[in-house]
Amino acid sequence: MTHITRREFVCAAATTVGGLALSLELPAQENARPLAAAARPPRTPSAFLQIGEDDGITIITPAVEMGQGGHTSLPMIIMEELGGSWKRLVISDAPAAAIYNNPMFGLQATVGSFSVRGWYTELRRIGAAARIMLTQAAAHSWKVSATDCTVDDSLIIHAPSGRKCSFGSIARLAANMPVPQDPPLKTVAQYTVIGRSQPRTDIPDKVDGAARFGIDMILPDMLYAAVKTCPTFGGKLKSFDDSACKGMPGYQSTVPIEDGVIVVARSYWQARKALERVKVDYDPGKLAGLDSAQVSQQLHAGFAEPGIVARNDGDVESGLAHAAQRLEATYEVPYLAHACMEPMNCTARVTNEGCEVWCGTQNPQAAQTGAAKTLGIPPDRVKVHVQYLGGGFGRRGEADFVTQAVSAAKTTNGKPVKLIWSREEDIQHDFYRPAAAIRFRGGLDAAGKLVALEGKVVSASAPSFGRPGGPPFFTEAVADANYLIPNFRVTGLNKDLGVRFGFWRSVNHSHNPFMIEGFIDELARAAGSDPYQFRRAMLQHDTEGARRQLGVLDFLAEKANWKHRQPGHGYGISAFSAFGSYIGTVVEVSMAGNVVTVHRVIQAIDCGIAVHPDNIVAQLEGGMAFGLTAVLRGKITLRNGAVMQTNFNDYPALALAEMPRVESYIIPSTAAPGGVGEPGTGPIAPALANAIYAAAGMRLRSLPLSQHQLSYKAVRI
Amino acid sequence: MFVLNINGSEHSIEAEADTPLLWVLRDELQLTGTKFGCGLGLCGACTVLLDGKPVRSCVVPVSAAAGQPIVTIEGLSKDKSHPVQRAWVAESVPQCGYCQSGMILSTVALLNSKPNPTDAEIDLAVTNICRCGTYNRVRKAIHRAAQMQSGEDAASKPTTV
Repeated sequence: MTHITRREFVCAAATTVGGLALSLELPAQENARPLAAAARPPRTPSAFLQIGEDDGITIITPAVEMGQGGHTSLPMIIMEELGGSWKRLVISDAPAAAIYNNPMFGLQATVGSFSVRGWYTELRRIGAAARIMLTQAAAHSWKVSATDCTVDDSLIIHAPSGRKCSFGSIARLAANMPVPQDPPLKTVAQYTVIGRSQPRTDIPDKVDGAARFGIDMILPDMLYAAVKTCPTFGGKLKSFDDSACKGMPGYQSTVPIEDGVIVVARSYWQARKALERVKVDYDPGKLAGLDSAQVSQQLHAGFAEPGIVARNDGDVESGLAHAAQRLEATYEVPYLAHACMEPMNCTARVTNEGCEVWCGTQNPQAAQTGAAKTLGIPPDRVKVHVQYLGGGFGRRGEADFVTQAVSAAKTTNGKPVKLIWSREEDIQHDFYRPAAAIRFRGGLDAAGKLVALEGKVVSASAPSFGRPGGPPFFTEAVADANYLIPNFRVTGLNKDLGVRFGFWRSVNHSHNPFMIEGFIDELARAAGSDPYQFRRAMLQHDTEGARRQLGVLDFLAEKANWKHRQPGHGYGISAFSAFGSYIGTVVEVSMAGNVVTVHRVIQAIDCGIAVHPDNIVAQLEGGMAFGLTAVLRGKITLRNGAVMQTNFNDYPALALAEMPRVESYIIPSTAAPGGVGEPGTGPIAPALANAIYAAAGMRLRSLPLSQHQLSYKAVRI
Repeated sequence: MFVLNINGSEHSIEAEADTPLLWVLRDELQLTGTKFGCGLGLCGACTVLLDGKPVRSCVVPVSAAAGQPIVTIEGLSKDKSHPVQRAWVAESVPQCGYCQSGMILSTVALLNSKPNPTDAEIDLAVTNICRCGTYNRVRKAIHRAAQMQSGEDAASKPTTV
């Protein structure tokens, strides 16, 4: 639990001359989590909540806005306890500072579906503390008891005397009140904001072009930059010749960086055209010969190696040996790019005082340290101005585009530089969802019960992220499966092939559920069982995971009318836990020749307390669309160490015409909130693959669908 | 020099003839609501109306746009009041929002030629890419905007007997 502190008021708005500002002081020991070790304590006063004398309520959100709704759901949590007027709300993005590190995750990063679940308690405490201070200030000035005062819509009301005052009118006085450290919080039953979808704060400015994304930054005297880096991973710049650029309109300079060149010009188009004329010679590096077939071979070679044990219940070898029926199957998925709609970009200004950067980033402190390292200055001399993100999906947790912009801006004598990637650069220099494969062995007893399951997970990933000694990160969704299987062993082997990998919406849950939920389906079929009942039978034990996953499964079966499935159609089901929530999907398809027609997608989530239900539904649909794109045609392939895809023509996204009919449900729950931004991505792959099997007896063990000579369409009736 | 007619105002532009309209709008005129997504006319984030027709401004040279009326997202209304904008807010369509200027302008063009489009007509006309997956809300908002527009048209027509 953190300490709530009063902060010297920071003048956030010109009209604001005083008021109340509250913040959190993180105790030193909490600050020193391994993941946050690099973060420095803030030097300037910072706050989460500021109430001005003009009645404005400024909420500084530690979560950035990339469409996931953080700029609405986090303010709702504060406002629930504060009782402020939603109309007076002003949202501001937090600067880079350790005080904004997510209490659950330890970093100031909008990742891992951590925002609501990480801030749920702390933001309510801040809202409640502010409400108490405002109420006490009013009661003090009226010489009445604070317990007789209530709060409604930014007003403090003393009903016995009929007196009222606004938050703003009392804010300065409230700032001198003692800060309650343990403010009583509402019960769930008392909520009037949480659970009732408030209008998203970012939407109005996204319908008339007013919303400012990183790419929209405009500064006086700003120059523009275009960048080209070595096509092969790990390649370096050897030399360049920019003589053909001299005299081109607007051309300023060519800035060499470690792996490529940046061209600076008066306009972006001029920079792009000049960049085409720069002759560049690269040292292609060690990966110059790598192609996709080798990646696959390396993953498969990993099955023969021991790996790190992530789960070991019972004795899987004995269980398999005694099984009445044994199955073995290998599943595999390729690399994927994020392809955020807004190509990577950053605007930077470097002066003698330090550096300022403006960008859409999921990780302001990574942007700050990236810029600082590039310049060799302390991080506290870098100011990060977070803008709206035109998609993040994990890609914008990286800072490569920030360091590039800073590299350019340090050569322009204090003139700001806006560096924008081409889409081609974006597709070919991503931090990819790793390619991965799992080899399963399963054993059924004579009654068709799953008695032994082994999964060997091999991923072109890292062995652990912030969990040294723990189970390999990339065995998630397999090793932590909620099914009760008496003999259950999972190992993980890291095959880092040197291809840049990163976090892609729902991370390991983007592909591991496809594999394990596909193999579970195979086992159900082999056992002669109904795939839904087969899963049900393995969720009868008394753990929270089993109970809640079973709840999702049963809910889905009812909504899909599983008992009375439409003849001739194939139904696929999948459910699992992800990001602190429980998620599942049923897909209904029909097959005609090689055409898969999706009739409907039914999704359900148990995410605990649903803070912003309408937004959760939007996230489920959007996550499904992101997952469906990957299922249908998502594939990054390598040839000679370079990515072969270039743009939306050869890395196509789902189109509006292809979006199936989707029903999304939130299962009522009073459990603590779980994540909602990512869980929706994973279930579509196994549910669709299982539905295709149900319809046509064809088992998909690799993705995408397009490589199985299957085509796809969605119907809406 | 080119004279562009944008959102009802004329602007004299100094730019090389092959400069895409997109970058003139964004960098010269600071109309940043029109977005860069792919540079090849594939994604539709840069959609504007040129003489009433939706075009991908990243592949329209400024020289080809001169002299024709251009409408960008900023020119749709002064106060977010265009029926398509209101429908977008009512259906909470945008997520990250980056593609939405283009989505909205594609919709405006569609509704101008087909005031009450079928789903199939929407499929054909709105080919903009949205990575957040807002498509079903886009579709709902298009139908809602069509209803709003037809209601308003009916209301604005003099009653006849």
